[in-house]
Amino acid sequence: MNRLHRDPFLRRDFLRVGSLAGIGLGLSEYLALAESGGVNSNAKAKAAIFVRLGGGPSHMDTFDLKPGAPDTHRGEFKEIATNVPGIRICEHLPKLAQCADKYVILRGVSHNLAAHELGTQYLGTGNRPLPALRYPNYGAVISKELKAAMEIPPFVSIPGEKEDATGYLGVEFGPFETGATPQAGRSMEIRGLSLGKGITLADVDRRQDMLQRYDQAFGDFAQKDKLLAGMEQFSQRAYAMMRSERTRDAFDLARESSSISGLFGTEPFSQSCLLATRLVEAGVRFVTVNLTGWDTHTDNFGQLKNRLLPTLDAGLSGLFLALHEKGLLASTSVFVTGEFGRTPIINARGGRDHWPRAMCCLFAGGGIAGGRVIGESDAKGEGPKDKGITPDDVAATFYQSLGIDPHKEYQTPTGRPMQIVRNGTPIREVLG
Amino acid sequence: MKPPLTALKLLLLIGAMPVAGGVLADEPAFAKGEPSFRRHVIPLLGRAGCSTRECHGSFSGQGGFQLSLFGYDFDADHKELTQETDGGEGEARVNPVDAANSLLVTKPTAQVKHKGKERFKKDSWEHQLLQRWIADGAKNDEATSGEFDRLEVQPREIVFKARGEKTQIKVLVHWKGGESEDVTQITRFRTNDESIATISETGLVECKNSGDTHVVAFYDNGVTPIPVMLPVSELAGEKYPNVRTPTKVDELIAAKLRKLGIVPSELCSDAEFLRRASLDVAGTLPTLDEVTKFLADKAPDKRVKKIEELLTSPGHAAWWATKLCDFTGNSAKQIFNESVTELNGDFSRQWWEWIERRIANNEPYDKLAAGIILATSRSKPDQSYKDYALEMASYLRRENPADFAARETMPHYWARKNVQKPEDRALSFAHAFLGVRIECAQCHKHPFDQWTKADYEQFQQFFEPLRYDSNLRRDPVVNYVTAVKEVSKVVGTGKEMQMREAQSAEIRRRIEAGELIPIHEVYVTTRNPRNTIARMMDNMRAYSGRVLTPKLLGGDQVLIKEYADPREPLMQWLRSKDNPFFARAFVNRVWAAYFHRGLVEPADDINLANPPVNAELMDYLAGEFIAHGYDMRHLHRLILTSDTYQRSWRPNATNELDERNFSRFVMRRLPAEVLLDAMTMATAADGKQLPFANDTKNREIGPNVAAFGLAEAFAGKNMPDHALTIFGKSARETNCDCERASVPTLLQSLYMRNDPEMLARIENQRGSTPAWISELRAAKQLPDDKMITETFLRTLSRPPTTEELQKARTDIDAASDPIDGLRDLLWALLNTREFTVNH
Repeated sequence: MNRLHRDPFLRRDFLRVGSLAGIGLGLSEYLALAESGGVNSNAKAKAAIFVRLGGGPSHMDTFDLKPGAPDTHRGEFKEIATNVPGIRICEHLPKLAQCADKYVILRGVSHNLAAHELGTQYLGTGNRPLPALRYPNYGAVISKELKAAMEIPPFVSIPGEKEDATGYLGVEFGPFETGATPQAGRSMEIRGLSLGKGITLADVDRRQDMLQRYDQAFGDFAQKDKLLAGMEQFSQRAYAMMRSERTRDAFDLARESSSISGLFGTEPFSQSCLLATRLVEAGVRFVTVNLTGWDTHTDNFGQLKNRLLPTLDAGLSGLFLALHEKGLLASTSVFVTGEFGRTPIINARGGRDHWPRAMCCLFAGGGIAGGRVIGESDAKGEGPKDKGITPDDVAATFYQSLGIDPHKEYQTPTGRPMQIVRNGTPIREVLG
Repeated sequence: MKPPLTALKLLLLIGAMPVAGGVLADEPAFAKGEPSFRRHVIPLLGRAGCSTRECHGSFSGQGGFQLSLFGYDFDADHKELTQETDGGEGEARVNPVDAANSLLVTKPTAQVKHKGKERFKKDSWEHQLLQRWIADGAKNDEATSGEFDRLEVQPREIVFKARGEKTQIKVLVHWKGGESEDVTQITRFRTNDESIATISETGLVECKNSGDTHVVAFYDNGVTPIPVMLPVSELAGEKYPNVRTPTKVDELIAAKLRKLGIVPSELCSDAEFLRRASLDVAGTLPTLDEVTKFLADKAPDKRVKKIEELLTSPGHAAWWATKLCDFTGNSAKQIFNESVTELNGDFSRQWWEWIERRIANNEPYDKLAAGIILATSRSKPDQSYKDYALEMASYLRRENPADFAARETMPHYWARKNVQKPEDRALSFAHAFLGVRIECAQCHKHPFDQWTKADYEQFQQFFEPLRYDSNLRRDPVVNYVTAVKEVSKVVGTGKEMQMREAQSAEIRRRIEAGELIPIHEVYVTTRNPRNTIARMMDNMRAYSGRVLTPKLLGGDQVLIKEYADPREPLMQWLRSKDNPFFARAFVNRVWAAYFHRGLVEPADDINLANPPVNAELMDYLAGEFIAHGYDMRHLHRLILTSDTYQRSWRPNATNELDERNFSRFVMRRLPAEVLLDAMTMATAADGKQLPFANDTKNREIGPNVAAFGLAEAFAGKNMPDHALTIFGKSARETNCDCERASVPTLLQSLYMRNDPEMLARIENQRGSTPAWISELRAAKQLPDDKMITETFLRTLSRPPTTEELQKARTDIDAASDPIDGLRDLLWALLNTREFTVNH
């Protein structure tokens, strides 16, 4: 194992910043440096939004309908036309049908892990799970690769999911969890960021001043010791973040213009999507948005029609349109997926069960041309028609759109060399 | 004039291919003799870099040609060289009829196009050796070459006097048949720290900087590290000052420091010692009273007495149970029992309590380990399923539960989802009890150790007959299936969530009513002969005729049939006096708990190429531990009572850069659980500190099962605890001590400054522990010097300096509400690095 890797401090940014601070680099210079650093200038996307549809949405009732399939498979829903000739999706997604030019549908994505946890890890990391190693989720990798400004959190998870584990990359790349979903027109309380009840910025400044005066026990050695110097750097950054108007405003949905907020519904998922666009606008590199409840073993059609599809339709169409309106769609990669599809055969309880052999994913933005369908499932939606698309390839495509080489190699803490995505290659057709 | 041109060409050549230094090497003696495939050809290809991961050692090969990674699969490599002749290029890699045109020689000499460029020059001895081996018939002589015995490396240790000095390493191999030869030129070398010393491909060591490291020689199955050092000051050797060495630990530490010219720091102050030892030994801040009394105590042996007191405190048993739960992988999420998934947390808690009892009673470590390793679910061999299931239920009832910790064995270790395959059991076992990482050998020879794929496969045979399931054949009348049926009858059918809730309620009812519950069990199966034959066939295919017999890592083959339980010989091996891992792994982890690193670091990565920084100290402590019957407290005591543990963090001119040899105390961030408990204790109301400290089962350092976020099936969206996660509590899922993180992060800083949980802890309460500040507010007490002093004692475990006292008075006076001023002082002290690190 090489020495550089063993010592977590040597690969940390604060050392670089620390040494620059030593030659008098001010905060604004640092911000400029941090914002330019790490971003591949060739890639169009500079941020990403990951929409996780927990539970596994039915591919055949959303973006891959099979009107010609037998009664045992077909389901109750009809197809409707979209604003892109030739692309047809479920009738209960009318808003998404009207912005089909903004996104790409991947059909015939296929794997074989039918358990929620394993499937979620697979689709959330691009690597088939192993018992003895945890892969990092997209957010951890992206916040490691793309630097954020000092006062802006690099990775925000709405509302925070246990699936956001940072795996072998370690706790330093973990997400800011909002803890709850945002409410329309309200400011969000963020753990650690929002000031506590009755605490003002003046209090924050006074405490900061006190802290500096009492934190003197180690004298000059505090600058020489890597641990102590590192803690000081994080402490300064935390202080900057708490004071940051830019960060605070990003979480305040009341500050959004009505022309943008009007694109969304009022449900928590819609508002989460709206928040995601604001965060990306403020400089956050990675946002996870969650919509769970897709595990429709019973009453699949009722649950989809009455609850899940309208919610998804309002939030996701709002997300695409708002990013477009804000001029952020080209610089933001959006990836939408569940952990698997659902059984083509409808079960006795009117439900569909877990079915990883066929599923759908969506990509939008980040320079990926929308209005296309890539891949195809077979006539009954039971599997891919041809070779199929692997979650590994989907993940590699996602990274590539952000200018991150999916084959870049990290070392695990045990010194094992490990590519970000071990077995996938970017799908050329998607990236164009 | 030709010569300058040649010299230039040579330089360019070296620049272009830094690893191919063969052109410079003298011709070794063996180059004249008959080349051997095992002894010369494969090592030469290894040294030339052919079998690395970047080249033909890659699992997908390179250019259609694949060698075993790190070159130890002689049969496969021989086959690849001699049998698969197409290689996509229509030429034989090895052609005895036309040796000179075999790819094996034309490629590395770049006579034909080679993506890996020239590895050695045409007509060099390397070239000739390979060509001669081919011409001789390209024979595989693994079977006849004899067994590898050992490497002899000269010199055994290198102590440099100045930067830039060079020393040549010489490597002799000894074979079991008694032969030996100089293999320096076909040995692979590496340095463990290139900032201290580099080593060339031909074994020339060059001193780069002061300090110490190892260079390592790899040949065949031999891995030999050689210590290399350059003293950091003029004080090395004779000029070394007189350093007090009251214990053997100090003596052995000083022996190395003397060679390096590093003078250790002074002893730390009494206040520093008390805080440090309390947090390290008992995971607990000292109480106000404790600090005051200890500082006032004039007894010369007060530190020794304090260590004794801490080692017998409830905090010590709790904290070390938690550490052993880390090492053994106690994860509530991984414990699997399909019919009673909502009880995972209870099983995890039982696991912790079982270990905690043994630490509290200071039972020998080998006995503790045996209770886990040899565990079966049924507490007696003739226990029926019914009695077993009733017994398990009795531990779970709320009223007056039976005492799980009194059980002789603790089977949950084998009941985890992530150890259901024999290969995963082998990994987990090696990590938990040997401190060895063998996962590399699952796929290829371990790059830094002697383990081969075959060793791994043989080792995993010990875990083959172990089962964790329903064991139906043993009890035909009342068994797991009948128990499930009984529960199902009550649950009936309906919507999934309702059924789950009904099942959960029925299980709970049965537990409280003293009825049996459906529950899986850990047991050893008598092998199914059909499976055994199938497995042997598989093995024979994989290993060309070799039948796998269980073999201890680095030890002997064992005939499992002689034992009813194959884990028994495994346990005997652990307990044998010359076991190289069992005692050392634990000694090293205890050392790593008291310092910023283990004697071997990473602490769970004992391998030949990663030797202890102080081998004599490791030998001494492991010897003492075994000689005292694996007495854990004795081991802790040996370390804690040394001057070495009690050094100040304040560096001197010679040891400021030393982070390897324990010449000063290197600071570390407090572990997640210890830090969170310390914050609660520091902010707790008067009189609540000691009750909090002693209520270990409800502290963060305790069993703390909610911390993990429970299993998917029932608990659904339970999130792991936020604070514990961001401060790096181990998830205990991947066989690595590195799962516990101690690095500082941004989220940690935000938590300390501004998290609602943190602010509530200071202002109101944490859990059931009320805050000191709220108590003062209620009593309308105004802050005085005594309270200022108490704020310092609570947080930093020391009184304020005169200057700090003055500062605090001013700050409190300036506040609009004096209690707010005191609260802000408390906040500020909790946020100092002096509070957050152990120093």
